[in-house]
Amino acid sequence: MNICRFPALFLLCASLLLGGCASTGPISLQEVREFADASARLGGYAELSRRYRDTYEREQPYLSPAADKIARENDAKRRAVYDDFVSIQKSVVLYMQTLSLLAGDTRYDLSGRIDDLGNGLKANAESGLQQRHVAAYTGLTRLLTRVIASSYQNRSVETMVRDGDADVQTLLEAMISLTRLYYKTNENEKKTMLGIFDVEIPLSARNSDRMLVTLAKIHYLNKSAEYKLIDRRYDLALQGLTKVALGHQKMRENLGKLSQDEVRRMLANYCRDLHKIHEGLSGE
Amino acid sequence: MTTERNATATATASTSTEANPGGLVNVNQVVQLADQLSACADQIHERVMLDIKAHDGRPYGPPYGSPYGPPIPEAKQAALRALLEDEVVLRQRANGLYADAATYVVKSLGKPQAQLIALTTDAAEKIRKITLIGDITGLVAGLLSLAGAAATGQAAPILLALRKIETQITALDEHNPQKPPSPAT
Repeated sequence: MNICRFPALFLLCASLLLGGCASTGPISLQEVREFADASARLGGYAELSRRYRDTYEREQPYLSPAADKIARENDAKRRAVYDDFVSIQKSVVLYMQTLSLLAGDTRYDLSGRIDDLGNGLKANAESGLQQRHVAAYTGLTRLLTRVIASSYQNRSVETMVRDGDADVQTLLEAMISLTRLYYKTNENEKKTMLGIFDVEIPLSARNSDRMLVTLAKIHYLNKSAEYKLIDRRYDLALQGLTKVALGHQKMRENLGKLSQDEVRRMLANYCRDLHKIHEGLSGE
Repeated sequence: MTTERNATATATASTSTEANPGGLVNVNQVVQLADQLSACADQIHERVMLDIKAHDGRPYGPPYGSPYGPPIPEAKQAALRALLEDEVVLRQRANGLYADAATYVVKSLGKPQAQLIALTTDAAEKIRKITLIGDITGLVAGLLSLAGAAATGQAAPILLALRKIETQITALDEHNPQKPPSPAT
């Protein structure tokens, strides 16, 4: 009798287990993991932050003394806050990496990464980030420290997504705002460089220094091609950040349903978009 | 956590909107002003290009435009180059405000934000429409001092610069009571 009851009990357990995860078979968070991976390696923002920081190096040869004086002040302003801009991205990337590991089957050790979170943002008026950005950064850092240090044993992906979403959204929003400012700054840089040639080429052409004018034209063409490529990168970076924010928001809205077909398909779509954007950013 | 948040709140109190109602106190407003200054620089550039083009009456497309037209008089060239220089300085000012938006914000402008933006929009429009390029110079000077003042965040010089621009715009209106057909359109 005991022998007969055993398989029945097993079946009961199995059906309870499987019933718990709807009709999709065993729980898989593969899409969550892939989305988090794709978000972590998106790219674009870090490079454009550097480009923003180095604006002056590029524009300096084109500036008159009067413009150069202001440009140097601007340069100092940009350099003063660069580290903060990078910290934000680092924390979001680490969050996504941690989420990816939580959603995977492998054990891991991220404890070394806690140091990477550094001493936090400068958290003052000069950092340029609004108070809520700084609060979000602090909140996310705490969450990560907790998750990583406790080796997460009893923490689930869902808990992390729920606890992290508000802060992740705030930080992504800050990255988007900053990228827009980078873009606008770049527009003025571009128009300064090209604008000078717009005017000087026709003026000089009449003075018939043909070699100089020819060189100027070549320079103009090179520069304008270069800026076209750069413009595309701002566009892609913004698209990517927006996708990451949306994807995470969708996970937050679908807590408890992360392994259902519909949600998995949706996440897979975000992944595919992020991969495309990543390719676009690394291809050029 | 709470104490930290409070500490941050104190540190950035000057950036909150309630600190100075009506002033240019939040990041978006600073960005908006910088956008307008960039737009004014764009208008100056277009005007300069139109003038070069108008000089020999041939269509002009950078960088291949009419290389062997009649030489533009030296004085005219100097005026065009001076405007180009103003344009570049204005762009630097705008970029300074973008950097401010990403760092601190302009405090206590003391004049309604909408009025400031309306005035610079008006200036951009004037630059586009004025027939004589020489008439632009005073207006551009006003814009430059506004941009410089905005970067300091001090209310008094900003108000002074605003009045200067207002006077310029009124003077230009008297010059051109009937808005002349713009060569741009």
